[in-house]
Amino acid sequence: MISRLRYTMREMWASLTRNLTLTVAAVITSMVSLFLFGMTLLIQQAFDNQLSQWTGGVKMIVYVKNGAPDDAVSTIQEALESRPEIIKNVEYCSIDCSLSQAKKLFAADPESLKFLSAENIPSYFSVEPVDKQSIEQLLSIRQSFVALPGVLRADFPSDQITVLGKLKSFFGVRTYVMSGVLLFASVLLIWNTIRTAMFARRREIEVMKLVGATNWFIRLPFMLEGLLQGLAGAALGSILLLLGNADWTAGVRKFPSTAGLGGFVVTDGYPIRVVIFMILLGAFVGAVGSATAASRFLDV
Amino acid sequence: MIRLENVTKSYSTEVVALRDASFDVAKAEFVFLVGPSGSGKSTLLRMMNRQERPEKGSVWVAGRNINEMSDSKVPHLRRNIGNIFPDYKLLPNRTVHENVAFALEVIGRPKHVIRQQVPAVLDLVGLSGKQERFPHQLSGGEQQRVSIARAFVNRPLILLADEPTGNLDPATGEGIMRLLDRINKTGTTVVMATHDQRIVNMMRKRVIQLDRGIIVRDQARGVYE
Repeated sequence: MISRLRYTMREMWASLTRNLTLTVAAVITSMVSLFLFGMTLLIQQAFDNQLSQWTGGVKMIVYVKNGAPDDAVSTIQEALESRPEIIKNVEYCSIDCSLSQAKKLFAADPESLKFLSAENIPSYFSVEPVDKQSIEQLLSIRQSFVALPGVLRADFPSDQITVLGKLKSFFGVRTYVMSGVLLFASVLLIWNTIRTAMFARRREIEVMKLVGATNWFIRLPFMLEGLLQGLAGAALGSILLLLGNADWTAGVRKFPSTAGLGGFVVTDGYPIRVVIFMILLGAFVGAVGSATAASRFLDV
Repeated sequence: MIRLENVTKSYSTEVVALRDASFDVAKAEFVFLVGPSGSGKSTLLRMMNRQERPEKGSVWVAGRNINEMSDSKVPHLRRNIGNIFPDYKLLPNRTVHENVAFALEVIGRPKHVIRQQVPAVLDLVGLSGKQERFPHQLSGGEQQRVSIARAFVNRPLILLADEPTGNLDPATGEGIMRLLDRINKTGTTVVMATHDQRIVNMMRKRVIQLDRGIIVRDQARGVYE
């Protein structure tokens, strides 16, 4: 048993180093495809986090026409506060408050700021929905608020959320397809590496068969070789992914928290779960590629 | 030890390698298969170790019908059959010792058995001083001796030799035949396909002659003709 194990390991290593160029190509392809796959999972998670954060803190802004009488402002406030089942909180931001906000927002753009004044800037109500479900209801009755006297318009950041959702779907589909194609390429490359290794050792295989080696004994070093290539690709891809994620996290954290990009940071053990999945997938890719080749080309 | 019953094998509708061939080979017998190229000698040998299967008839080795044997049992059958080839089929990147040890290693023999059996068989074939040489450092006769050592190291019941002297000069060929005769005298059945008239006439063993797949002569202590 030990002598067989020693033989299998020695032959696997010899075969790996003999076909070094093909081995490196197979490992790199596995690495890139698995890295892309892992990255796709992280990107999807980042979009989910961000969407959750945005929909969690979403508010409707009801702008009041500049110069609207005080009773119109009161009517708007009463209308908003009359729907406690969907509206949790209503805050009024007067013209002075709006100007103050604008000064903060346009701090880096004084040219735009100089066009804003108490005469043209609107005051507004910031309307916070009760929960995510009430966002939909609020959206459906938005027009009833717009129809009130003194209301300029009612904005909802739903458009940005829709864009983010679409971006998630856009990136998700394309990166999954790309990584799927690359994973298939990895299987083919490992398959070809094993086929080449078997062809290079066809004389040995012929002798082995004639002296009574079992097919499994002949196949095993080749199958382990493929498995190792898949695992090496997955390990390198995982290192790349963890380094990339650390760099991304550091980059995102440089933005101020008010930028609202915190959701794009993926932590809480999720990257480790992705890495474990990548390693299992790498082993599967290697095993499938090598097992099919080792079975197909045994009759050399 | 070996029995062929009405064995027929064709490679196409026009090429019939064997036609209704039947014979028995007893334990420890030495049999020459003779005949021109394409007469079916190699096909017969390949059937005896299940490299090929007949279309009709059956092949029995050591009391078992090997045509009906499952594929998983074939390796175990082959552990009892040594094979010798005209082109030796040695592994060029392995030494003499490694080439012979390889046959034991791949059937899972433990290291202490390999350490014991390989020098013994190399001594038997007269190569005990050349264990660490590579095949390209040996003459044709020496390479064939390595091939015989590899075939015999597992002490098989049967030795199948396909033109073992085909690429050797007459003197070297005689040396190989003396070696095969010694192995035969240990109780191993030897079946040898050959064109070598001189060797067949010298050995005076049983001769089975084939012509276009048909056995035309089966003679004890025969000559080539």
